[in-house]
Amino acid sequence: MKSDNKKDEPAVFKRVVSKNASPYNYMKVSLVLEDESTRLTAIELKQFIITGLKSLYGEVGAALSFDLLKYDEDTLTAFLRVSSRGLVKLWSSLTLLGFYQNQACAFRVLQVSPFLLALTGNSRDLQLD
Amino acid sequence: MSAEPQRTLRSLLVSERSSFLDDKNRLSAQVQQHHLNYKVSVLLPECSSAPSHLEAALNSFSTFYLIRKLPLYELLDKHFLETAVYQGSVYGLSYRSRIDQENCVCLTPNGRLSLSLDKDSYELLGFEGKPSCLTVYVSVSLLVSVDLTDSCMAPGGRGYQRLLKGLTSRLRLQVDFLLSHPGGGALQSLLSRYDWSEHSPEVSVRSLSHLSCPALLTSDLQSCDPHSLLEWLGAVDADVSCENSSSSFLSTLVCPEPSRTASQSLSVTVCGLLLPKDVLRLVQELRCYLEQSLQVSWVALTVHGFTDSPVSWGDSEHGVVTGGENFYTLLLFQDQTYQLHLRNSQRPCGGLDPRVETVTSLMSFLMLRFKRLFSS
Amino acid sequence: MVRVKSRYLLCEVNVSDRTRLLLLDDRAVAETVKATVARIHGDYGAAMCSIRFSVKYLNTHTGIVFLRFPKRCYKLLWSALPFITCIETRGQKIPCFLNCLHVGGTIRTCQKFLIRYNTQQLHRMLPKCKNEEEKQQVRKAILNCILPGGNKQDEDILESDDEEE
Repeated sequence: MKSDNKKDEPAVFKRVVSKNASPYNYMKVSLVLEDESTRLTAIELKQFIITGLKSLYGEVGAALSFDLLKYDEDTLTAFLRVSSRGLVKLWSSLTLLGFYQNQACAFRVLQVSPFLLALTGNSRDLQLD
Repeated sequence: MSAEPQRTLRSLLVSERSSFLDDKNRLSAQVQQHHLNYKVSVLLPECSSAPSHLEAALNSFSTFYLIRKLPLYELLDKHFLETAVYQGSVYGLSYRSRIDQENCVCLTPNGRLSLSLDKDSYELLGFEGKPSCLTVYVSVSLLVSVDLTDSCMAPGGRGYQRLLKGLTSRLRLQVDFLLSHPGGGALQSLLSRYDWSEHSPEVSVRSLSHLSCPALLTSDLQSCDPHSLLEWLGAVDADVSCENSSSSFLSTLVCPEPSRTASQSLSVTVCGLLLPKDVLRLVQELRCYLEQSLQVSWVALTVHGFTDSPVSWGDSEHGVVTGGENFYTLLLFQDQTYQLHLRNSQRPCGGLDPRVETVTSLMSFLMLRFKRLFSS
Repeated sequence: MVRVKSRYLLCEVNVSDRTRLLLLDDRAVAETVKATVARIHGDYGAAMCSIRFSVKYLNTHTGIVFLRFPKRCYKLLWSALPFITCIETRGQKIPCFLNCLHVGGTIRTCQKFLIRYNTQQLHRMLPKCKNEEEKQQVRKAILNCILPGGNKQDEDILESDDEEE
């Protein structure tokens, strides 16, 4: 049994390093509106982001595919997934989105990561009081 | 530079496969290396309630202290050094200070005190440090790393005097400090002088019904692409639905194929200042659990580090604002093999940040806006 | 020495009714390109198109256009050209599309290419002449047009090209 194990050993260990290979980037963003009572549904939010992409990057930009993974209607916080190459486009158009239905608004980018797991374990959420 | 703005975040993922039966497996060393853990999440597929030994392990994570407005020179207190630091059993981290904006401090069990300081504080302190990799994004940031176990840092030594003088007279740093329990009465005198509270890690259990999870997952690294596997684990952790079709408007996230549906699964998370030794104990319990229950082929354990700690793996920095979050995921299998996916960015320095590119693309936009303004 | 680099796109404007080509002018083409880039690539593209973009040359007889783009972003701007479906000029809409023939770093290389291209076209079309008389006419027209100065050469060949049709 023991010798068997020893034979297996070299085959068992394996190490793979992948560099800049992540196909997607994930963003955690929240929308801040002038009138805080305004509510958006997930579909409205995605549509709103698409209009932002369209005004900054045109029809080609509007065709950028991104996913709204999770959305909390109370805090207006959303998880977005975008292909790694589209990150800058999405980010910059979020920055320039200044008005939602004639009221001032702003997107706060809370966290960006190539891994979705990283967005769930942000130690800045730790509340001890 | 191309006209299309498409720079990506730098990412580095190390995937390892090994077996617990292998004498040379480095798992425990690797877990020990990751000193400051914030969150542990365990995913148990095909499990309706955790067995008692596992639950006990999850609930018995060590408690920790939060000391408010602790002046840093207290960490150089002779009694504290002798009873806690030299024993190599104390973990500490400043609480609620953001590393990209404020000064941060951490204390690791190898006796190293690491301070991440802005330029002014650094010059006030007058202690040698090196430029931190945050410098690209924050105006200037420096990392001072002091080995408290070194002979010149012994109480009365030259280095010790200089640091103590810096911290008491020139740079009076006061932070809210998280400190692990070093055992014994080591902290009694320290705690008596300050406002403190004791906290136990917060455990939350979520049971997930009809979770679709990847079938055919084996310890072979090729069985499932690490990135899509981690994405799926993240989706489970964040409670994101994977039940989408490729044509849906909102999201097209799906579980890696081939998949099957697990009727009842359990996701347990523990948050707080968690010690590596408790994580290792949990790993042992998970191994026992796998041996006992035959229908479960794997379990997943994810450990997140603190975002705002000056160091992550060992004594190395992590680039916090460039996607340098530190976490690792451990997948345990029935046949005593495991997969370990390490996310670290030990060399996050250099390279252009997507933000820089965002700014350049915004500048060309602004140029247009100005043109319009002047022409109208 | 460093110079600011550009890319020159040699395009032909294809229309169904060739007489309407005469209505075109530089400004109309430039405005159309700018508007299309703004539609396809948004404000970002429009900003890219606002610096050092110009219509360098337009031959209204043959419909040949030289467009100058900054080298840095010419691919982005080029990708918008297929979306041009009509050019509006003097209150009229001319339905057309742009066909890019050549991309060059200088006007000179583009001109050289254009001469070669037109010669090729001529060789391709000459055999299609119905009778000997027609051929002679074409030859004569070419010989009449060629001037001793080499500069106008390309235009002249183009014009003869035109006549043939």
